Amino acid sequence: MNVLLAVLWKDLLTEWRSRDRVVSMLLFSLLVVVVFHFALPDDAPETTRAVAPGLLWAAYVFAALLGMNRAFAIELENEALSGLALAPADRGWIFLGKALANWLLLLVVEAITAGAFALGFDLPLGPVALPLASVLALGSAGLAAMGTLFAAVAVRTSYREVMLPLLLVPVLVPVLLGAVRATAALLASGALPLGPLRLLAVTDAVFLIGSFVLFEFVLEE
Amino acid sequence: MLANDRRAVSGARSASGWLLVASLLAYGAVVATAPIDAVQGPIQKILYLHVPCAFAAYLGFAATALLGALYLWRGEASLDRAAAAAAEVGVVFCTLVLLTGPIWARGTWGRWWSWDPRLTVTLLLWFVYLAYLLLRGFTEGSERAARFAAVYGIVGLLAVPLNYFAIDLFGGRAIHPENLARGSLGAGMGLPFGLGVGTALLAFLHLWLRRVEVAELEAEAAAAAHARAEG
Repeated sequence: MNVLLAVLWKDLLTEWRSRDRVVSMLLFSLLVVVVFHFALPDDAPETTRAVAPGLLWAAYVFAALLGMNRAFAIELENEALSGLALAPADRGWIFLGKALANWLLLLVVEAITAGAFALGFDLPLGPVALPLASVLALGSAGLAAMGTLFAAVAVRTSYREVMLPLLLVPVLVPVLLGAVRATAALLASGALPLGPLRLLAVTDAVFLIGSFVLFEFVLEE
Repeated sequence: MLANDRRAVSGARSASGWLLVASLLAYGAVVATAPIDAVQGPIQKILYLHVPCAFAAYLGFAATALLGALYLWRGEASLDRAAAAAAEVGVVFCTLVLLTGPIWARGTWGRWWSWDPRLTVTLLLWFVYLAYLLLRGFTEGSERAARFAAVYGIVGLLAVPLNYFAIDLFGGRAIHPENLARGSLGAGMGLPFGLGVGTALLAFLHLWLRRVEVAELEAEAAAAAHARAEG
């Protein structure tokens, strides 16, 4: 547990001092919003509302891919990653600390991007802000868990920027489906549907437990 | 792997090769003479290739994850080579599934592709195992590549039921034929289908043994070259 808190504190502190990951993820996802504006028809608010949840989550995945590669790339300097691996504790806790830091950074970026979506595409997200926050939290948990595990793998390969999306996206489908469906239902009726939430909870649990166990084999001294 | 084990692989490979030849001949004859579907016409016979290949592909991916998990547990490099071979052969069969399916669908559904849950899950599985092979290629050091690949193979298999569950719930309308779930294939279809499954599994076994044998020889050659450089 101490290891978890130490890693989490270290990651948040280095991010607070540089702020490079949050700023670059945020700028990137705002750029994606601008690109989506060109992709959507001008005078069809129904179309915009129908596709907005999918686009929102697409922007989140892009931003996450960008930010999570950095989480381990900075650990390669001065062999810090090997130092982490030598910590006398179960490596699963190191994983959870890293994943928790990624999750928190993602949530910051996602909240601001959702605001930009609401303003830019005239979506009524304000009244459903609280239930939307719970969907973001659940969806990002699965994204952060698998993303952190695969970022630790991708960072040790010779093609790290390409490897992370290739590894992550095919297994992320349950998270994306659940999150997009829940967001769409929120936009349509303002009520949270149980089915997608249950799917998100089950997927999060499987992903978290699986990556907690498998992270042991990803780190090396 | 010991030289004795490799000789055993080699023997099994050649036995499975002869069995495969016999099985292919019988399969060809039975499929050629199987009754023609009254509604779909001859194109229905793709079933005898498509579904058996799918079984072989699923077997390959399950074997990849299982052998990968065994590798993480036991740490024997030959287990990793067997897992990689299963993934390679699995991808070949999965590609055949994804090629034969659309040909049949064009003739029967009228379109090449539909986002039916089973199609989507198989396509994602294909992506997962291509990423698995790319990951091996992009990772330096055989021990590290083996560990990473084993981890990804296990996650890939974990993702299958989750993907299926998710896509079945929200991801598209199911229009894929469900003959096996209904327990009926139709008169005269049982024998070609059964022979098809047997032949595909034999073909999988044979190709997998061949690939394992080559990988073992490569590993022995690398070890010999290493020993010569040292000594």
